[in-house]
Amino acid sequence: MFTNTINHIDIPRTRREFLARSGAGFGAVALAGLTPSDSLAASLPLENAQPSQQPHHKATAKRVIFLFMEGGPSHLDLFDPKPLLNKLAGQRIPDSFGEVITAMGEMKSPLLACKRQWAQHGEGGLWISDWLPHIAECADDLAVIRSCYANGINHSAGVCQMNTCSILSGRPSLGSWVSYGLGTENENLPAFVVMQDNIAQVVNGPRNWGAGFMPAVYQGTRLSEGSQPIPYLNVPEGFTQQRQLTKLDFLNQLNYRFAQTHPEQSELEARIASYELAFRMQADAPEAIDLSSESAETLELYGINDKKTSAYGRLCLLGRRLAERGVRFIQLYSGAGSKWDSHDNIEAKHADLCRGMDRPVAGLLKDLKRRGMLEDTLVVWGGEFGRTPMSEKGNGRDHNPSGFTMWMAGGGVKGGQAIGETDELGLHATVDRLHVHDLHASILHLMGIDNMQLTYKHKGRPERPTVNEGDFCDKLVTG
Amino acid sequence: MRLLKLVCVICVASTTFAADASPEQAKFFENEVRPLLAEKCYSCHGGDEQKGDLRLDSLATLLSGGESGAAIVPGKPEESLLIEAINYESLEMPPDEKLPDNQIAILTRWVAMGAPWPGANPNTPVRERELFDDEDRSWWAIQPVKPPSIPDPAPPFAQWPRNEIDCFIAESLTSQGLTPAPEADKLSLVRRLYLDVVGLPPTPEEVASFLNDTSLNAYESLVDRLLDSKGYGERAARAWLDLVRYADSDGYRADAYRPDAFRYRDYVIQSFNEDKPYDRFVQEQIAGDEMFPDSLEAQVALGYLRHWVYEWNIRDARTQWTTIIDDVTDTTADVFLGLGLQCAKCHNHKFDPLLQKDYLRLQAYFAPLMPREIDVAESDELADYQTKLQVWKDKTADIQAKIDAIEQPYRDKYRDIAIDRFPDDLKQIARKPPPERSPHEEQLAYLVQLQVQYEHDRLDSHISAKDKEKLIELRRELKEFDSIKPKRLPQAMVVTDVSAVAPETVMPKRKSEIIEPGVPSILDANPMPIDASPSSKTTGRRTALAKWITDPANPLSTRVMANRVWQSHFGRGLAENPSDFGRLGGQPSHPELLDWLSVELVNNGWSLKTLHRKVLLSATYRQSTEHPQFANFQQIDPANTYYWRRDTMRLSAEQIRDSLLSVTGELKDCVGGPGKLADSDCRTIYTRVMRNSPDELLDSFDLPQFFSSNSTRNTTTTPVQSLLMINSDRMLGYARRMAARVQSNSSDLKDQVQFAWQCVYGRTPTPDEIAGSLRFVDQLRAEVAADDVQTKDGLIETAKLPYRDGQSIKFDVNESALQLSVPAHQSFAVADFTIETFFQLRSIAKTGAVRTLVSNWNGSYQTSGWRLGVTGAGSRRKPQTLVLQMVGKKANAQLAEAAIFSDQHIQINTPYYASASFRLPRDGAPGTVTFYLKDLSNDDEPLQVAEIPHDLIGGFDNDLPLTLGSQSGKDVQTFDGLIDDVRFVAKALTVDEILQTVERELPGTIGYWQFETVPGVMRNSAQDQLNIVGRGSAIVNLSPDESALADFCHVLLNSNEFLYVH
Repeated sequence: MFTNTINHIDIPRTRREFLARSGAGFGAVALAGLTPSDSLAASLPLENAQPSQQPHHKATAKRVIFLFMEGGPSHLDLFDPKPLLNKLAGQRIPDSFGEVITAMGEMKSPLLACKRQWAQHGEGGLWISDWLPHIAECADDLAVIRSCYANGINHSAGVCQMNTCSILSGRPSLGSWVSYGLGTENENLPAFVVMQDNIAQVVNGPRNWGAGFMPAVYQGTRLSEGSQPIPYLNVPEGFTQQRQLTKLDFLNQLNYRFAQTHPEQSELEARIASYELAFRMQADAPEAIDLSSESAETLELYGINDKKTSAYGRLCLLGRRLAERGVRFIQLYSGAGSKWDSHDNIEAKHADLCRGMDRPVAGLLKDLKRRGMLEDTLVVWGGEFGRTPMSEKGNGRDHNPSGFTMWMAGGGVKGGQAIGETDELGLHATVDRLHVHDLHASILHLMGIDNMQLTYKHKGRPERPTVNEGDFCDKLVTG
Repeated sequence: MRLLKLVCVICVASTTFAADASPEQAKFFENEVRPLLAEKCYSCHGGDEQKGDLRLDSLATLLSGGESGAAIVPGKPEESLLIEAINYESLEMPPDEKLPDNQIAILTRWVAMGAPWPGANPNTPVRERELFDDEDRSWWAIQPVKPPSIPDPAPPFAQWPRNEIDCFIAESLTSQGLTPAPEADKLSLVRRLYLDVVGLPPTPEEVASFLNDTSLNAYESLVDRLLDSKGYGERAARAWLDLVRYADSDGYRADAYRPDAFRYRDYVIQSFNEDKPYDRFVQEQIAGDEMFPDSLEAQVALGYLRHWVYEWNIRDARTQWTTIIDDVTDTTADVFLGLGLQCAKCHNHKFDPLLQKDYLRLQAYFAPLMPREIDVAESDELADYQTKLQVWKDKTADIQAKIDAIEQPYRDKYRDIAIDRFPDDLKQIARKPPPERSPHEEQLAYLVQLQVQYEHDRLDSHISAKDKEKLIELRRELKEFDSIKPKRLPQAMVVTDVSAVAPETVMPKRKSEIIEPGVPSILDANPMPIDASPSSKTTGRRTALAKWITDPANPLSTRVMANRVWQSHFGRGLAENPSDFGRLGGQPSHPELLDWLSVELVNNGWSLKTLHRKVLLSATYRQSTEHPQFANFQQIDPANTYYWRRDTMRLSAEQIRDSLLSVTGELKDCVGGPGKLADSDCRTIYTRVMRNSPDELLDSFDLPQFFSSNSTRNTTTTPVQSLLMINSDRMLGYARRMAARVQSNSSDLKDQVQFAWQCVYGRTPTPDEIAGSLRFVDQLRAEVAADDVQTKDGLIETAKLPYRDGQSIKFDVNESALQLSVPAHQSFAVADFTIETFFQLRSIAKTGAVRTLVSNWNGSYQTSGWRLGVTGAGSRRKPQTLVLQMVGKKANAQLAEAAIFSDQHIQINTPYYASASFRLPRDGAPGTVTFYLKDLSNDDEPLQVAEIPHDLIGGFDNDLPLTLGSQSGKDVQTFDGLIDDVRFVAKALTVDEILQTVERELPGTIGYWQFETVPGVMRNSAQDQLNIVGRGSAIVNLSPDESALADFCHVLLNSNEFLYVH
């Protein structure tokens, strides 16, 4: 099981063959059937041998597409209608709701009415606002969790926690834990990929998808569109492919010689293999992100022809393509750089972002479904927190980590249901509360991982993906 | 030893509860209490499951409790966690639904009665979690360090040992049926020693000098020389800085630069180089203010207590303070004691005999901490400074008063805005007069004040245009007194205590239980006596802690440091987890050797150099990585636990970068000071550690994140790393410069190959290797010569702009010349237009001279055109701001100049997006320039937009090229720093269209130069024309010979023999 101590990374058995082949010239080893863990070696202490990469229990989800609405979308205006909010609009929140500390100190600001039209959708009758007409069509696929809560009051802590379970930096991200626990399904692409809809930096930057104290091999790789999806993927300017191959061939010879005299160091072979893998990535990564083979109908489905929806539409379609190619954990940021953060003018800001995200996300769900992929692909939607019923600057809402909404679809999740409740104004989660720890435990559970059984030893101490907390929310599958 | 006495805590379930329950009580228990517990609690806290490590099915387990402590205090329901939990006051139990009131009453009454539990025997000692048993007390790490007897090596190893270390190693090898490897050859040893002790590879001369030294003590004298060199401290400090999570930035979102943090880094390097005794080194860092108040160095050392991450906009200051103090506690336990105390933050340690209380006992030493910035100056210097400052103040009092009159209302307003974002209690604390604040309130007020300061630092952006004009004028007047203004004294980030009275440390959920400072209970359960500090300004707590840690008899701190010295030379400690000697980590592989090293450390006056020397001189250290019985022994001891050979090890991130600079000959001898940028030629230890934007080369080779203490480095191999090594312009640059160095050494190719080999590997190539290399160079030369892809125009070296992907162009006003221009074209004659770019300035001009970003103008008022740039510090009108300088037609059809200032302050070394969107007057609306500016390093800084009217009506046609970094027609570039993507669009873009909002093709784009490999660094990606032409010494033009040699060097720098040491 996951905590065993057999090191699966060492490849001493195949070394001789491997080296014999390495001498044959660059590219030859590419066909030699190295497993990904051979080529992506980390010198883990024995106790951290990569787990057997067998799930703890039967997984219903093979991969995750995490749609991260960065900045904190308003649950009160999207999935969690609160009639009382409009009734008390303009007044102070009654003391009975309890005090919270908000980022901008808006506890005493007047309550802000919700201007949305609400309707129930699908057979399950989920409430979804008029900002999300397309997602509403998929209502029966969604398990809407209205009772999420978190600890981070501001973006840095919130985004950090939604990625790593802790508001303090330095821990591995969920995608890293998944890569560590389950390994990769595609040799030529990273197991954990991150993309964003615009060039602004996601809060905290790359450490959101970092491996924390685990080896860098488990960290997420940021993929961008364009000619160079991974940094330095392309042969440098002015170099022919032939010239590059001649160099790599010579490098291989030098490395081969050195490895022969240092047989104890398996990393040396891993480094040889990593150049091979890099070489194969040069071919596979551009293909994976090339949308030219997609039909006009598919592009339309994701809203790629519409200027307003094309940015996130492309991301969602790329997400599907990467999922098809065995990428295990895909994170797609909407509103990268806290664009969902609507401290003022929430009407205009949210309307625009919802417009940009609604059709692409619905397109993704529909596309996955018709391809039979939704069954084993878990789609997760949400931000680092929700927003307050109290107003800010007259027409915006402050951060609200004490109660907010996320939803999941596919991957064994029972759709058409709402789980949990917030109080009558949507400030606190009250019924069936789900902490970020529980959300992560549930995602891992659906992927066949028990959050308390997956461990990595750091500084001699066993570390777990959910900081030793969190339970699977079984309502997700039982309804 | 008082401190180290093992204490047996006798804890008997005692006194208040009545096990001998009266018949009434027994009836009450059996009828009401037990069924209730069984129904509501046992499913999670019974025989099958013990959530939170808690069982509620026996009196003993109720008393010993779980992770959160004892569940009940018999007779005291108000202090009982169980009662709190069922009332949903702290924990909320049962979690699904609160018990009905009558059931809460039953349990409360039962606890109040003294928790009678029929049949439970009060005389049986309860195995409480607070109790330690024999197994706990036999934990190896807390046993007193005793000088072990030195084993006599048995034949055949009698001759092998060079010092005591080898005797211990030989004994364990014998016990395993292993024999040591032969001594490595001199070539291996010299490279090993240099990389290990100073962190740099030896130069060919240094290798030759060692090989030629045939004296018997050649090795010893090299060790001594290296330990005495400045490089020793630069290398040894790195491991220490990892441990204390040193960084030059705040971490978190804003990741603000800490301009004074470097003094601590320099202090550490200097301390290692002076071989400061380790006990003094520890005392200075923990209690320099109390123990050595007269030593400036010891004050700087207190920077150790300031490296926590800081988030600039947390309104929950209470939690923030707790996080800070927790972090200091965790780090101290890790660094000095090797204890996983952080596991005991919320509950007793699961595996080690450490109590939650022990965590708080350690934390109590830091409870009085108060951050402080000090002047690093001796008292006479300080007095001199103050005298001069007073003179300056007196002479400028009038001007200052006028400035204050303008600024004060803004200060007051933004102070209130900042404070009002906090919860009520903190608002109140912040507004209390300081003398009325409690010590803890003073700490909280400090955190609030930082946010007030943040607003005050940005005051200029709030000041109205009218006031701003006046202010600028007053500041200019003030500046005229600069000649008599004393230079600001160096500052350091340190701490002291908030007062002589410490804020209380209490058990969470047990606010009434005050925790006094103390060491782990298993060593001494009593509170530590604290001598009041003589200054009576501090508590003396940290002095007591520092003295305990540096007590020669402290079994933890001595072993921990001795183990770290061993780890620094073997890549792993004798105890496997250098910062956690807990029981999970197992016994050290060689406990006697570890003890011997610890005794040596103390006996040699805590000299670290002496201990390093001992290790380096041992036969164990000098072994070869190869062994005649390799295959055989690999079966017995595959991990080399017993040291029967040397391990081959990959270089660390810093060793790799430093080695690259060293072999290319670029390495500069730097001596500390403010953190250098990543592209400097100084050793990596002197470069800035920005927590959220690590250098990508270092990052890919496992640079740790500096958020918490790091005691070991990972070693990973990934294709992303390989891509960076083989494809990045940065690595190609190293290769080209190394080729140039090699060429300047000799004109003969064979000599060049040989010299390159010596520089990179520290050895001469074999004839085979020479032949192979020459074949490779020949083949490459032929390929390059035949290849028409090779860029004819030469290459520009690129760099990476922080917070951006891909390549940017580096301009250097002092060194290389670089002119980049797009030849004149009719499409440059625009009406409305927008010019956009990303940039980072390294310096601004001291005069008013503009640092040009992009221009289509030659600087003459007789020629129409425009340029976007940043004004100099001496600008009479607007210093250090974006400017769009234009010459065009006015309504009278005459050419006229218009300098449009954005009034947005540009900081040095900060990455920005900037653009100017120019709109002609139209439909009665005046013409405008809209500036957009975004600090890329801080997402919380909003996009700044400034719309400024102008009175031009167009006429920007000229026959000038478009130039980057300089003015058209001028040979000297005026930009200094990095310029990334430049876009020129024939349209006044709105906020929705600018690059910062969305990177999307846009109709009307004349040029979009991205400096990427595809379609080419100098090519326009908007259309197939208007490419950049480059001139100047910064342009690289290589002949086929030079290209082939550079490729050869590039391969060597990618090879494992360079990246590993054996």
